[in-house]
Amino acid sequence: MTDFINALTPENLGYLLQGLGITVAVSVLSIIISFLLGSIVGIVMFEKIPYFSSLVGTLNNIVRNLPLLLIIFFTYFALPQIGIRLPVFWSTVVAMSFFEAAMLSEIIRGGLDSVDKGQFEGARSTGLSNRQTLVHIVLPQAYKKMIPPLISQLISLVKDTSLASGIVLADLTFRGQVVYAQNSHYIVPVLVFMTFCYFVVNYLLSLLAKHLDRRLA
Amino acid sequence: MSMIEFKDVEKYYGDFHALKDINLKIDAGETVVLIGPSGSGKSTLIRTVNGLEEIQEGQLLVDGFDLHDPKTDMNKIRKNVGMVFQHFNLYNNKTVLENIMLAPRLVLKRDEEENKKLAMALLERVGLADKANNMPSALSGGQKQRVAIARSLAMKPKCLLFDEPTSALDPEMIGDVLKVMREIAEDSDMTMLVVTHEMGFAKAVADRVIFMADGQILEDSSTEQFFKEPSNDRAKKFLSQVANH
Repeated sequence: MTDFINALTPENLGYLLQGLGITVAVSVLSIIISFLLGSIVGIVMFEKIPYFSSLVGTLNNIVRNLPLLLIIFFTYFALPQIGIRLPVFWSTVVAMSFFEAAMLSEIIRGGLDSVDKGQFEGARSTGLSNRQTLVHIVLPQAYKKMIPPLISQLISLVKDTSLASGIVLADLTFRGQVVYAQNSHYIVPVLVFMTFCYFVVNYLLSLLAKHLDRRLA
Repeated sequence: MSMIEFKDVEKYYGDFHALKDINLKIDAGETVVLIGPSGSGKSTLIRTVNGLEEIQEGQLLVDGFDLHDPKTDMNKIRKNVGMVFQHFNLYNNKTVLENIMLAPRLVLKRDEEENKKLAMALLERVGLADKANNMPSALSGGQKQRVAIARSLAMKPKCLLFDEPTSALDPEMIGDVLKVMREIAEDSDMTMLVVTHEMGFAKAVADRVIFMADGQILEDSSTEQFFKEPSNDRAKKFLSQVANH
C-alpha cells in the first residue's frame, strides 16, 4: 500500500495522465482518419470496379498482414530517408490510421456485402442513383450490422497505440515505464493505474457502441 | 404508342440462354400478364425492362429509351418505370412513410409538404394510413407489399412492373394485394406488366396474356382467347395443370 502512495504522487499522476491525454489524442485522431479512409477503401472493394478494386484489395491485404509495429517503425525511421520527416506524434497517427484503415475496410466491405441485395434493387427501381442508394439505404444498414466488430477493432486500436512507446511517443505506456524505472517497487502500482486508464477509455468506447446500436435501431 | 418494345432480344447468364429471340410490344395503358412454369424466364424478362438485368443482343425500347445503348441513363427510365418485387424490398432502415417519401424527395425534388400529403393519400388508398410511422419489420407480408406498391406509385410512373407480387404471401393476404392492383389497373392509364400465378387476377384484369417457357414466348393472346382456347400446346397443358388444383 505504501508503494501505491509513494508511486502515485500527485506529480507522477499528473505525468501519467498527460501520457493518457496523448494516448487518447492519438486514438481519437486515428479513429477518425482510419474510419473515413477505411470507409472509402471498403466501398471501393465492395463496388468491384474492374481492376481498381482488386488492386486496392491486394494492397489492403498486404497492409493487413504486416505487424503494426513494423509500420510504426517504417513511418518514423524510413520515411525521413525519402524526405518525409514527421514528429513522433504524427508518425504514430499516420501509421495507426494507415493500418487501422486497412483493418476497418474489410469490416466495412463485409458489412456492405451483408445488406440484402433486394435493398439495392428496391432503391434503384425507384430511380435513386447508386450514390443515393449507398448513402440513404445501404450504408446506414451496413454500419448498424458493423457496430460490434467495428468497436472491437477500435478498442484494439486504442490498446495498440502503446506500441508507439517503441518510437518514444510519450504516451501512457511510455510514461509508465519512465516512472517505474525510478524504483522497481513502483511497477505494480503503475501497471495497475495504467490498466485502470486503458480500461476506462475502452469501456467508454463500448458504451458508445451500445448507444449507437440503440440509436441506429 | 408502345411503352415497352422488345426486338430480337437475347439474354444469357454465362452459357445459359435465359431469353430467346424475344419480340414483344406493350402499348401504353395496357395491362399484360406474363405466365409460365418456373424457370421459364418470366422474371428475367420483366427485370430487363428497368435494367436490373442486362440484355446481350437485340433492342429493348422502354418509354422511348434504348436500354441496350450504354449512353442511356438508367435512372431516367427507372423514374418512370416502377417495380414491385416478390420479397417487397422495403427499406429496412426507414419508416413506412419514409419508404414512400424518399425517392420523390431525392429524385423528383418534390416539395416536402406535398410529398407527405401524397404519401399519406397513397397509404390511405392501400388501407395502411395507420401504419405510417411503423418500421417495415412491424408489418405483415401483405401489408409490406401494399406499402411497396404505394412506394412505386409515389413516383407517378408511366409503367409498373410486378414480379410475382403475391408469391411470398400467406393465402389470406393475397386478396388485399390483388385488390389494390386491380384498382390501379382499372383507375389509371398506367401500363402494367405482371408476372403472376394468380389466374383469377389474370382473367379479371389483363388485356393480354403472354405465356413463356424455356426462355421463349410461346403464346401472346387476348385474355379471353387465352383462357378459352390457347393455341400453343404447352400453354394448354400449363393451363390445365394450374386449373386442376
